[in-house]
Amino acid sequence: MRRLATLVLACALGAFAPGALADPEETDPDLAKRDEDYAAGVAAVKAKSWSEAVAKLKVAERRNPDSADLHNFLGFSYRNLKQFDLAFTHYKRSLAIEPRHRGAHEYIGEAYLMTGDLASAERHRDLLKGICLLGCEELADLEKAIADYKKKP
Amino acid sequence: MFLRSLPLAVASAFLWTTAASAHEVPPEKQTGKLGSVTFPTSCNPAVQKDFERGVAMLHSFWYGAAEKLFTEIAEKDPSCAIAHWGYAAILMSNPLAGQGALPANAVKAQAAIGQARKAGAKTQRERDYIEAVATYYEDFANRPEKARQAARAKAYEGLAAKYPADDEAQIFAALYIAGTQSQADQTYAAYLKAAGMLEPQFKKHPDHPGAAHYLIHSYDAPPIAAKGLEAARRYAEIAPAAPHALHMPSHIFTRVGSWEESAATNLRSAAAAKANNEADESYHAYDYAVYAYLQLGRDADAKRAIEDAMKISGVSPRFVAPYAITAMPARYALERGDWKGAAALPAPTSTFPFTNAITHYSRAIGALRNGDSATAAKEAEALAAAHKALSDAKNTYWATEVEVQRLTVAAWTAHTGGNPAEGLKLMRAAADLEDSNEKHIVTPGRILPARELLGEMLIEQKQPAAALKELEASQAREPHRYRNYAASALAADMMGDRAKAREYYAKLVDLGKKSDGSRPDLVKARAFVAQK
Repeated sequence: MRRLATLVLACALGAFAPGALADPEETDPDLAKRDEDYAAGVAAVKAKSWSEAVAKLKVAERRNPDSADLHNFLGFSYRNLKQFDLAFTHYKRSLAIEPRHRGAHEYIGEAYLMTGDLASAERHRDLLKGICLLGCEELADLEKAIADYKKKP
Repeated sequence: MFLRSLPLAVASAFLWTTAASAHEVPPEKQTGKLGSVTFPTSCNPAVQKDFERGVAMLHSFWYGAAEKLFTEIAEKDPSCAIAHWGYAAILMSNPLAGQGALPANAVKAQAAIGQARKAGAKTQRERDYIEAVATYYEDFANRPEKARQAARAKAYEGLAAKYPADDEAQIFAALYIAGTQSQADQTYAAYLKAAGMLEPQFKKHPDHPGAAHYLIHSYDAPPIAAKGLEAARRYAEIAPAAPHALHMPSHIFTRVGSWEESAATNLRSAAAAKANNEADESYHAYDYAVYAYLQLGRDADAKRAIEDAMKISGVSPRFVAPYAITAMPARYALERGDWKGAAALPAPTSTFPFTNAITHYSRAIGALRNGDSATAAKEAEALAAAHKALSDAKNTYWATEVEVQRLTVAAWTAHTGGNPAEGLKLMRAAADLEDSNEKHIVTPGRILPARELLGEMLIEQKQPAAALKELEASQAREPHRYRNYAASALAADMMGDRAKAREYYAKLVDLGKKSDGSRPDLVKARAFVAQK
C-alpha cells in the first residue's frame, strides 16, 4: 500500500458532488473535518490498527453511508484483517457509489489476487484502462500485481 | 434598475459608497430591504419586527446575521420560544447543499430546542414549528443526512397540512421538500413538487423572499431552468440588502443564457460584497459578470470588470477568490480565440491545484492552437501533476475536472500532431466525462465546454455534420454561448445548409448587438445575415 500516506491526505481536501447550492464553500465537505469518527478511522488506517479502523469507520458509516472513500477504507481494513468477504462488500459498495474510483478498482483487484481470482483482478484492470486513458498509478500498480501473480509458481 | 443605464465605473462607485455607509452597522442591525414576511407569534410585540426580519434573513440564507438576531430576541424576551426555533433552523445551514448541520451545531441546536420546550410556547402552532425542526436533529449522531432531510420534509409537510392558512408553513415545507431532491433523479420530482407549492405562494406574496428564492433553487437544473426566470428577476429586487439575493438570480440567468441580466446583477452583487468586505463573494460575482460579457462580445466591458476585480484586496484562504482570479483572464483570452494571449497567461500562484490547472490548461490550448507543441507538452506535465495531487488527496470532483482538461490537451496534441483519429477519440472521452460531472457552482461555466471543443475539432477535420451535432448537444447544457453559435454557423455553412447557417449567424448577431465589434466572426456574421 504505497499510497497509504497520500490516501490519508483525503482528510485535506475531501470529495463531493455539487448540487443546488448557494455558497461555493458549501461544496467542500471534507468528511474528516465534519466527522470525528471518520477522521479517527483514517488515522487508525494510517497507524495500521485495522480493528480500531473498522470500529471507528463503522460508526461513521451510520452517518455517511454514501461515502465511496469511507467504504474504500473499510475494504482496505477488512482486507488487512483477512476478512475478504467483508472487504469485497465494501469495495463493491465504494464502486457502486463511485464507479470511477481508481483506488477501489486497484485494491479490489489486488484483493482478488490475494484470494486467487485472477480473472476478476483482470476485469478491474480492464476497467481501469478505460478510466485512465492517459495512464495512472492505480493501473500501473494493479498491472504489476497481476504480472507478479502470474510469475508465481 | 436605473443602475443598468449608468456607466460601470459610476455604478460601482455609487454602490460602494451607499453600501459602505451601511457597513458601519452590523448586518443583523441593518434595516435594508429583505422582503416581506408575516409570521405571527405570541412573543412580546417589541421583538415581533426583529423576529420577522430574522425569518426573512433565514429565507435568504443570511445565516450569520440571523443567528445573532434570533439570539438577541431570545435574550430580550425569554418567553419567546419560537426564537429558539429560528436559531435551530439557522443551524441546519443550507438545506439544499446536502451537507447538513455540523455536529457541533447540532449540539447547539438541540440545546436551543430544549430551551424552547422549557420556555413553553404559548400557542400549539409555535409548539408544532419547534417539534418540526426537532425532527431533523433527532438521533443526529446515528442518522445519515438523507434520513434527516426526509424526516424534516415530512414534519414540515405535516405542519403545512395542519395549518393550510399558514403561508410560512407552506413555504418552509416546499424548501425542505426541495432539499430531498436526489442528484440521480433526472425527473426532478422533489424540485417540481416544491415548485408546485411555491408558485401560488409567489403569486400571493410577490415580495416574499423565500417564495422567490426557493423557486430559483427548485428550477436550478438545465431542463427546467427557464421556469425560474420570473423569480430570478424578482428576487434581487425583493431582498437587495441580502448579498445572496443579488447573486443567486444569476444562476438561473446563466442556465438560460440571459447574459445582460447576469452581468447586471453580478456587478451589483460584486459591489455590495466589496462594501461588506466580502472579497471572495466579490471576485465570485465578477467572474460571473466577465463570463456573461464575453458571451455578448462585450470584450471591453469584460476587460474593465477584470481590472476592477483585480483591485480587490484581502482574500480568505478559501478557493473562491483564486478560482475567479485565475479563471477571468483565461476566459478573456480563450473565449475571444486569442491563442497567443492564452499561451502567455501569467504563472499560477494559488495553493489549489485545480485553480492552477486552469492556467496550465489554457496555456496548453493556446499554445497548441498557435502551433507550439513544446510549450503545450510542458503544460500537460503540470496538469498531470495537478491531477495527481487532487487524486492523492481524494478530491474526486476536481480530479475529474482536471482529467477532462488533461484529455482535452492530449486530444488537441494528437489532432495538431497529425493523429486526428486519436484526437477525436480523446476529445470525445473528455466531453463524455465532463457531461458526467455536474458544473461546480464556483463557476458560471467551464473555461471552455469540452463538447463545444469536440465540435470545433470536427470542423477542423472537415466533418461539419458531426460537428453541428456535437455543438447542438452542447447548447442543451450550456445555452446561448458566443463561440458555440459561431462554430455552429460555420459548420452549417460548410454543410451547404445556408438556412441553418443564417439562423446561427443571426443568433450570433443578436448576441453581439452591444459588442464593441472587434471579433472577426461577428463581422462575418453581420455580413452573412445582410446578404439577400
